[in-house]
Amino acid sequence: MTRYLRLLRLFFRAELQYELEYRLNFVLEIVETAVVTATSVGAVLILFSYTTVLNGWDLGAMLVLLGCFYLVQGFGEFALQPSFEKFLENVRLGTLDFALLKPASPQFQVTLRYFRVAQLAQMALGAVVVAVGLSRIPAIGLAEAIGFPIALICGFVLIYALLVALSTFAFWFVRVDNLMALYWSFMDAGRFPVDVYPGWLRLTLSSAVPIGIAVTVPAQVIAGRLDPFGLLLLVVGSAVAFVLASSFWRLGLRSYTGASA
Amino acid sequence: MIRTYRALLVAQLQAASQYRVQVLLWMLFSVIRPVIFLAAWVAVANAQGGQIGTYDVRDFAAYYICLSLVSCLTASWNAYEFEYEVRFGRLSPKLLRPLHPIHYAVVENLVAKLTQIVPLSIVLVFISITFDARFRTTPAHVLLFVPSVMLAAALSFLSGWVLATTAFWTTRVHSVSTFWDRAAFIFAGQIAPLALLPGPLQAISLALPFGYVLGVPAEILRGGVSPSTALLLMAGQAIWLAIFFVAFQRVWRAGVRQYSGVGA
Repeated sequence: MTRYLRLLRLFFRAELQYELEYRLNFVLEIVETAVVTATSVGAVLILFSYTTVLNGWDLGAMLVLLGCFYLVQGFGEFALQPSFEKFLENVRLGTLDFALLKPASPQFQVTLRYFRVAQLAQMALGAVVVAVGLSRIPAIGLAEAIGFPIALICGFVLIYALLVALSTFAFWFVRVDNLMALYWSFMDAGRFPVDVYPGWLRLTLSSAVPIGIAVTVPAQVIAGRLDPFGLLLLVVGSAVAFVLASSFWRLGLRSYTGASA
Repeated sequence: MIRTYRALLVAQLQAASQYRVQVLLWMLFSVIRPVIFLAAWVAVANAQGGQIGTYDVRDFAAYYICLSLVSCLTASWNAYEFEYEVRFGRLSPKLLRPLHPIHYAVVENLVAKLTQIVPLSIVLVFISITFDARFRTTPAHVLLFVPSVMLAAALSFLSGWVLATTAFWTTRVHSVSTFWDRAAFIFAGQIAPLALLPGPLQAISLALPFGYVLGVPAEILRGGVSPSTALLLMAGQAIWLAIFFVAFQRVWRAGVRQYSGVGA
């Protein structure tokens, strides 16, 4: 375990050094993120200039939700998207061999190898938006304060598990970038509470593409709508998703035939 | 010219038939965001007793369905590819051909829309049933919509090229187009119909080009504006199209002079 943490730190540092080589790019990426977040907050404010509640969510809770959306999406773009993009490319080119030869878990090396450090800014801005939203909510109990990080981490795990499962198809079909692109575009739906969507879409967003769950539940927890059963369900659900996705990935790996095998 | 275009069209159609899944995917991109904001506005309207300004829940549905159709028909994506063409020097062979590179992009753009329109219509019918959309469209609106959406498509295409040509001077086209997209996010009628933008934002949106690409044709198709207002808005579209046409010619000429392919 400590070995893996050390590896993670190493990977992260290498990526940070790489990105700092291109300083203007780094800065521009952060500015872009700030503009995207600001305009999204603007969109929520425009909606709330016509109402005080949206499906039971007031402005404070809605901002918390939007902040969670950027926390989860930021996590995806910071820690997951870069590695999964490289992974698909490696399967296609046959260069995945190099990762398989190294003495560490292949899944770990493949799925958590690359980072886009500038996207940490997106998570930071998400946290700021959450804080602003919270300032409009009267009081936060201890239970909420403990439940929130748990729910958020479960959200991260859920997103990770789904990406692992989706990317596994690359072992058989090679070109699955379309599937992944579709996934990232569905992500956009997380900016509103999942219960605003009509039946079939809500079902998709909470089961097939659980972005709705990953964003909505943490926001519910911190905004004081803690439902212990819902939280428990999320913890169990994301653990199960993680185990299932990992074993599916290992199954897929068996079908991988290197570059000239 | 017509013969050239016919040949390019056939070639592009054949190429497009190789990427059928891609077609469906891009089609979904123009549906997802309108549906997200439609759902949000429905929730807002329901919280206010079903009516916001002149829009009720079914009007919102009609508006966002029209918006989705318009955003498919006016999509342009050259800004994203052009940077690579310039950076890797792939533009050089295209510049040597007797035809201006923009014509290849025009045909590619038309073919993509032709292939998407059928699956998109099916999805939109499904959505309009789900949300019980009510269109106030009259035959006059349909007649006005056709030129309006053509103006919008041309405007979006040309402004996309003007953005793309910044690649001649900088390799940060991605940032430029992100800022452009976010301005469009607010002012084009995506987060709200233009008529519902609060206070000064509405006036600003009518002074900027973004709304003339999406919101204006969508509102005309829905029948949300009277035919005389529609004509006025179309004049706005024509003015912006003219501005971008002049800008494109200037920028392109200056940019090509600036461009040096790899190895030059």
